[in-house]
Parts: sequence; C-alpha cells; structure tokens
Amino acid sequence: MAIPDQRRTLEPWQDPEAAPYVRIERVTKKFGDVYAVDDVSLNIYQGEFFSLLGSSGCGKSTLLRLLGGFEQPTLGRIYIDGTDVTDIPPYARPVNMMFQSYALFPHMSVEQNVAFGLKQDRMPRAERAERVGELLALLKVEELRKRKPDQLSGGQRQRVALARSLARHPKLLLLDEPLGALDKRLRENTQFELVNLQERLGITFVTVTHDQEEAMTMSTRIAVMDVGRIMQVDTPTAIYEYPNSRFVARFIGSVNLFEGKVAALDGDQVLVQSRLGRSMRMRCLYPLALGTPVTVAVRPEKIRPCADYREDGVNQLKGVVEDIAYLGDVSIYRVRVGERADPSSRIVEMTLTNIQPRTEQALTWEQEVAMEWAPTSGVVLPE
Amino acid sequence: MKRRRWPLLAVLGFGYAFLYVPVLLLIVYSFNESRLVTVWSGFSVKWYGELLANRQLLDAAWLSVRIAAVNATFAVILGTLAANALVRHGRFRGRTGFELLLTAPLVMPDVIIGLSLLLLFVAMQQVIGWPDGRGFTTIAIAHITFSMAYVAVVVRARLAQMDRSLEEAAMDLGARPLTVYRTITLPLIAPALLSGWLLAFTLSLDDLVIASFVSGPGSTTLPMVIYASVRMGVSPQINALATVIVALVTLAVVVAALTMRERGEKFEV
Repeated sequence: MAIPDQRRTLEPWQDPEAAPYVRIERVTKKFGDVYAVDDVSLNIYQGEFFSLLGSSGCGKSTLLRLLGGFEQPTLGRIYIDGTDVTDIPPYARPVNMMFQSYALFPHMSVEQNVAFGLKQDRMPRAERAERVGELLALLKVEELRKRKPDQLSGGQRQRVALARSLARHPKLLLLDEPLGALDKRLRENTQFELVNLQERLGITFVTVTHDQEEAMTMSTRIAVMDVGRIMQVDTPTAIYEYPNSRFVARFIGSVNLFEGKVAALDGDQVLVQSRLGRSMRMRCLYPLALGTPVTVAVRPEKIRPCADYREDGVNQLKGVVEDIAYLGDVSIYRVRVGERADPSSRIVEMTLTNIQPRTEQALTWEQEVAMEWAPTSGVVLPE
Repeated sequence: MKRRRWPLLAVLGFGYAFLYVPVLLLIVYSFNESRLVTVWSGFSVKWYGELLANRQLLDAAWLSVRIAAVNATFAVILGTLAANALVRHGRFRGRTGFELLLTAPLVMPDVIIGLSLLLLFVAMQQVIGWPDGRGFTTIAIAHITFSMAYVAVVVRARLAQMDRSLEEAAMDLGARPLTVYRTITLPLIAPALLSGWLLAFTLSLDDLVIASFVSGPGSTTLPMVIYASVRMGVSPQINALATVIVALVTLAVVVAALTMRERGEKFEV
C-alpha cells in the first residue's frame, strides 16, 4: 500500500519501510531481584520527540540511562543508527543527555561548561569559541557566559544544560525530566521552546517525564510505562482517545469506567450490558466474543446532559449532583448514579464548559441530572 | 524582658580559657628572661637565639617536618584511593573486611600499632633485608598506615555527597574515565584532599608513641626530643620552638581558609 509522502515524514512509524533510528530489542534490566525494565522492545524514528511517561519507579529513567550507556542491560540489545551500541561506553556513543539535576560542573563557568564536550573532541580553540557563542545565542544566555552555575536561576541553568548537551551536535538527545525543576509558568513557555528547537535542529529527542500534560503537548509519540513494561506506544491523541487498557485510560486524564459484558454485536459496534443495569452501545474496532467481560471507558468531557432520557435508553445515565469542582474554564460535576446507600451505586464525572458565568448556571448540588454520550465517544477495553 | 546574658558569656569565656590559656602561657613564657619556666623575670628573646643554636632540637624539628610532609602526601594518595574504592565500587568482594581494616587504626591504641609495626619491621629486615635499620623510612611508613585512615574518612564523606551525575555528564560529553577523574572529580574533592593533607601532617607531627617504637638511633623526632628534655626540666627553648610552630600552623590555617573563601568553598577540618 502506498503511503503519501507527507505522512511518511510526519509519521515514520506508520511506514513499514522506514528504518528506526533507535531500536531497543527485548531489553531487560534487573537490579538484584527487581526488574526495572522488563522485556521492552521499542522503535524510535529520526526526528521524533518521543516521551517515556510513567509514575516514579516505572523504569522510564532506567530505560533512558540504558540508551545513554550509564547502565548495561541484563538482556537484549540496543541499536542506534543501525549500530549495536549495547557494549559501547557513554563517552563513545553518538548520544548526549540532559540530566534531571542539570549536572552543571560547579567549578566551571557557563562558557567552560558548554565547551567541555568540544574540548574532549579536540576541536580547535577558535572553532570551539564560535560554537559556544552560537549555542549561547540560540538559548539566549549569552550574557551569562562568565557566570558560575551557582549564580544562575533554575531556568537559566536549564538553558545552559541544554546548550551543553547540544554542543557536540548529537543526533539523539536524551532528556531526563527536562522541565521538572521549573515552576509552572516557566514550564509552559519552555515546552513550546523545546519543541521549536527540536524541529529546527532536526534532532531526535527522547524525554522522560511523569507529567502527562507535558508529554501530551510536546511529543510525537508517547510510551506509557508501568512496572518496567511498556503499556502502550502511540501518538498523544491516540493515547488519550483510544487507550488500550484500563491502566492507560486511568493514567492519562480522568475517565469513567463501566464494567459489563458484551450482550450483542452489530457491525463495528458492540452492545454492552453494564453492571449499572444500563445498556451501552460503543464502537469497537477489534473483534469481541459475546459474553466477554469488558470495560467501557468514557472521558468526563464527552458526557453531556440529555433532554430525552428514557428508561431503556442506550448510553444514558441518571443521577444526582453530589459535588461540583469549579475550575474557571470548566466545571467537573460528580454525579451519583443509584442510591447513595446502595453499595453498587457509583460516581460518574461529567465535565462541562462554563459557557455562562457560574452564578447563572442551572445545574447545582442535589439536583437530578440525565446524561448521555455518543457511541464514538469512548472505547471498549478488555477486562 | 531583657535576657540575662552574663551566664552564657561566662560559660563561653571558661570554654575558651580552658582551650587557649595553656597555649597563651606557653607563648608568654617563651619571652621570659628567667631560665625557670614558671617564674617571670622580664622580657627577652634570648631563648629564640639559643633555639637557633641548638642543633639537636632543630635537626629533630626538620626531621619531623620532613616525615610529616612525606606522610601527608602518601596518606592523601592512598586514603583517596581507598575512599574511591569504598564509595564508587559498590559491593565488591571483601568490602566489609577492607572497611574494617581501614578504620582499625582509628580505634587501635597507639601502643599496639607501634609495637606491631616494630615487630613487623624487625621481621622484615631479617627475612628480606628491608627496611635496613629503623629511622626516617620506618617512621614514615608507620605514620602513613594510620594517617591514611583519617584521610579516607574525610575524602569518603566528600565523595559520597558529590552528585554522581556530574561525572556521568562529563562521560556523556566524551570524557574517558581518567579525564573525568582529573577534570571533574579531583577539583570537586580538592578541599577534602587539602583538609586530609593538613590533618595527616598534624597527626604525624605530634605523634610520640608510635615514633618512639619504630625510630632508630639518629632519627629522633621533635616530640621525642621534647619529651626527653621535659623529664630533665623544661628549657624555655621548647617554649620558643612551640611558639614558632603555633605561629606557622595559624598562618597555614588562615591561608587555607582565605583560599577556600576565594573559591567559594567552606573550609572545614
């Protein structure tokens, strides 16, 4: 099947002929008896902004350190640009890393820090000075060149660390929580800058983050990790809209999960009899057998109040507003479906945009509300 | 309510007095004219003159300083290597034993260290013919064995608190392990190396017990000369010599602290 050229460059992972730039082949890393990375295989393509996302201790940092050469895999091989680098030490890899602590050398000035890598490459002095100047200009920290790291703010350190890791013009840059130490406002600005820089320089970025928002905004693809394994690798949109498991659905954003069984099949749609006693009709793009236990996952912002609630309505629920979280732009309504005393009753979250000022809104506490969603507004997950 | 401060000040004053009055007295009496160390009879610098003429005392002082310098240098090298092994090489085989052996001199009585080393040197001379007799070499070796333990403790603390990712970053930027050590690790642990050197120097300079065991004829260190002369009545020359040493040590510490401050580091011994 021919793939349009546009797509080939933007989504190389869709192209069966594209050669991955980084190939991680069944890599396992054990620390004592603990599996930090457990049989992970992953392809990362040239020019990608790839994020490893997971909570702390999920193995994402270890995987990054394996790419940098700071850890040796217990099993498996790692290839970069077609070369097996598994046994190559960090100083001989065509890779640079930006450390979470930035790891700026405290006894050297900004200039000396940035020049350190070039000095190791025995670059002539004049050329070195020129390259350092370019990098400091690129990251807008020229006026800091004579300062020592302890005379810099957090944001400045981050820029200097980035300049230093870019100095040797690596083909692959590893970033460990690149924005982790910045405050929220600075982080948002820096996110865009980082993406621009990556696109401009055409370097492949692999970042580690625990911040799902950060991963969503910056990445071409995200790998969600849990206990050393990769749960799903996909574009931010696909990860959010089409999670492949309850874990991923819950990890990114919030989600309502309804357990049930497949009651009927109808083309690309399935009818699920939920434990709440209501039927749900959802689109499902993979085959399912009748009677299979499944979970229907619907994001809170895809649920709407409904006007024509019917007792036998499909994708409809009715409940009482128990809590309202007002966030300014949106409000999250926590609606209890079923009697509160009934242990099988549960909370369903619905997010509504605050089109009108809060004070004008009709929906309030203890009020009964009917809700619905479309069959394409969620996914059916295997139990 | 105004807090009464004099009790605190009194305690502080007593503390300082306890520490420094003996030293001050020693310095004051070095300028005493009388031959009796405990009777003040007028100001004079004649004991400094006599000190300059006292070959025995000066030779002993020069020997002690040479031993202390050699000792401090070797102790820093060996102690740093030991600290590196303990901090950087995780759980190697025999680690516990190594750690125990390294810290043993810190708790072992000097008499036992001295005696055991003397027996070792004598046995070695009989078996392999080295060291030939006892003197500078044996005292230096004896001092290195215990001072390197102190150096290792100081350097180990500094290494342990150093951010590992600094060395990883250097390696990531293309530096081989030896270059990393030379350009990153050494400059960052330099204050500890200096502290360790000064500590080892001092330990060697004022050791009497161990040196007495392993010294030989013609190699009498300063503490040994002082101790011997005190038994026959102290000459104010000793006061004069002690004053010179105190002055030199004070100067060294002040210079070290100032250099550190310039580099933005804190000086700690």
